Amino acid sequence: MFDLLFLGFGEIFRLDILIIIFVGVVFGVIAGLIPGFTVAMAIVLTLPLTFGMDPVSGIAAMIGVFVGGMSGGLISAALLGIPGTPSSVATTFDAYPMAKKGNPGKALSIGIWSSFLSSIISLFILVTIAPQISRFALKFGPWEMFALICLALTIIASVTGSSIIKGLIAGLFGLLISTIGADPIMGFARFTFDLKVLRAGVPFLVVLIGMFAISRLMESLERSEMKKDLEAKQKENASEVSFVLKPIQTLKTVLKKPGTLFGSSVIGAVIGAIPGAGGSIANIVAYDQAKKWSKDPNKFGTGCEEGVVASEAGNNSTVGGDLIPTVALGIPGSAVTAVLLSALMVHGITPGPLLVVDEPSIVGGIFVAFFIASFGMLITQFIGMRYFVKVTQVPTHLLVPIILVLCVIGAYVLNNRVTDLYILLAMGIIGYLFTKYKFALAPAIIGVILGPIAEVNLRRAFMTDQDWTLFLTRPISLTFLILTVISISFTIWQTKKTNERTRA
Amino acid sequence: MGELILGLLLVLLSILIYTQTGDLPSMNESQLDAGSFPQFIAILLGLLSLILVIKQSIHLLKQNQNKEQSANIKETLLDVYREHKLVLITLSLIFLYIILIQIIGFIISSIAFMIITALVIGPRKKKDVITISSIAVILTIGLYFFFQNVLQVRFPSGVFF
Repeated sequence: MFDLLFLGFGEIFRLDILIIIFVGVVFGVIAGLIPGFTVAMAIVLTLPLTFGMDPVSGIAAMIGVFVGGMSGGLISAALLGIPGTPSSVATTFDAYPMAKKGNPGKALSIGIWSSFLSSIISLFILVTIAPQISRFALKFGPWEMFALICLALTIIASVTGSSIIKGLIAGLFGLLISTIGADPIMGFARFTFDLKVLRAGVPFLVVLIGMFAISRLMESLERSEMKKDLEAKQKENASEVSFVLKPIQTLKTVLKKPGTLFGSSVIGAVIGAIPGAGGSIANIVAYDQAKKWSKDPNKFGTGCEEGVVASEAGNNSTVGGDLIPTVALGIPGSAVTAVLLSALMVHGITPGPLLVVDEPSIVGGIFVAFFIASFGMLITQFIGMRYFVKVTQVPTHLLVPIILVLCVIGAYVLNNRVTDLYILLAMGIIGYLFTKYKFALAPAIIGVILGPIAEVNLRRAFMTDQDWTLFLTRPISLTFLILTVISISFTIWQTKKTNERTRA
Repeated sequence: MGELILGLLLVLLSILIYTQTGDLPSMNESQLDAGSFPQFIAILLGLLSLILVIKQSIHLLKQNQNKEQSANIKETLLDVYREHKLVLITLSLIFLYIILIQIIGFIISSIAFMIITALVIGPRKKKDVITISSIAVILTIGLYFFFQNVLQVRFPSGVFF
């Protein structure tokens, strides 16, 4: 465990990488605080910029954006009462009332400290757990890997979106997209429909930009969304709020609530590690749990300190949790880590259980970059808060065209092919229709990235041994498949129960 | 309604993929060939989409029984159009932009796209035009040189250069 960290320190402590991380954090914070600009979008748009860097710097840049973005939502949540990202919904419950009562500086600094401390706690969890899991996963044959991917996809399908059927459909659709192009074992062209564009397959990054960035932008252009946005911006002007940050004093306040801080961080890390569930769920669950365990639950929602600590600790610690399956198994838990994995693949590094053994310097680099990025977040937030606050006012009609052009550039840069741009547009439209009718996008995206791995493992399993019952007789594989069935049936049972309750 | 159409489209897609897989070459009986995995996925996707379609139609039928169709179709369609007008315009602008990149080059088409889109979406005051124009020019040229020189990406230059 410590050798990984030492390796990482050696990799990351170079002036250029440290600067890259700081720039990433600043960009992430800005992306996080602009309502309508999500962390996933920011990280997707960062990826093309990192193509020219070596793998460690590229990964470090993206981790910087990730950590910064998770904490950026706090600013608009506290000052405007609008979550800057979906991960800061619960932050508005207490941070906004606290700011309204005349303590905006206190709300912000408590939020920053909880984000920072919970990041460090989740880093500790990541560093201790991830290598153990990957060591265990080294025993996996193709049967186990295939069963594990089935499990991951069903969990994602059941935690995101409005119904499990739609989640599963989205996941299968993603898997289907991934089969377009050359088949991974023999190289036959599949489903190209005689279009040259499709012969090389659908590039993963293009799907990602289309589904996450373009579809989100289109959503913000709907008339009712535009109206809501305008009203929210007229209501309050964040740059007019005056506040004083008191770093030392609030650190003491946060440290006086060790239970809330630690509990919420652990909740966040565990939720982050579940594929599909990320900051947006952890933020609310951590807040809810803190309220349940509190001696005085009635003060929640009126601007109490515990509420801010719990919600911000909950969402920032998902970063560490999210990285656990990503590093240890090569299975991304969210869109953000999916981009991280595709960045590794662009550099020719195959993610999977072997990553820790084959590329210890990359894994160590990820750990240490996360550590540095947390410090970077702390420093930039305290120093730059005054300037960040001004950015919340960027109007939609400037934001949308600029980001659209960035999307087009990002998709083009990957392969230098104009034809990829048509795929981008098509994916944008599909993604928009999916969100419109409440199909979750996360399963589709993760389906696209896991599809080839699932297929290769399935076919390798049959090449090794034609007996398909091996999926059921190998104990680990069987466990994963049983868990798959349980996760589907549990979700169906749960929806039935809530439906009955709402009817009654 | 939309779910129903989307579900039907997905069922059609699964059938299309399933029938396409028959043409793919196979090695021998004992192995899974290039078509098996997509076939397997297509069957699952088709089944689930079918369930969704059935569920949605039952839901819609129940709704129709409960209340007579109050609003006429023309009005609802018009409402849908109004709500999504900007989305449709922007999507067609992106399409035009992609075509134009190949004809008049990256720099000019990006600047034009940013300015036109901003004007379509937002207010058309003089101040806004100046802001977006300067942002568009600086951003496009900056990115162009960054990618060209640092990452050795060649953007389409178009007929003018």
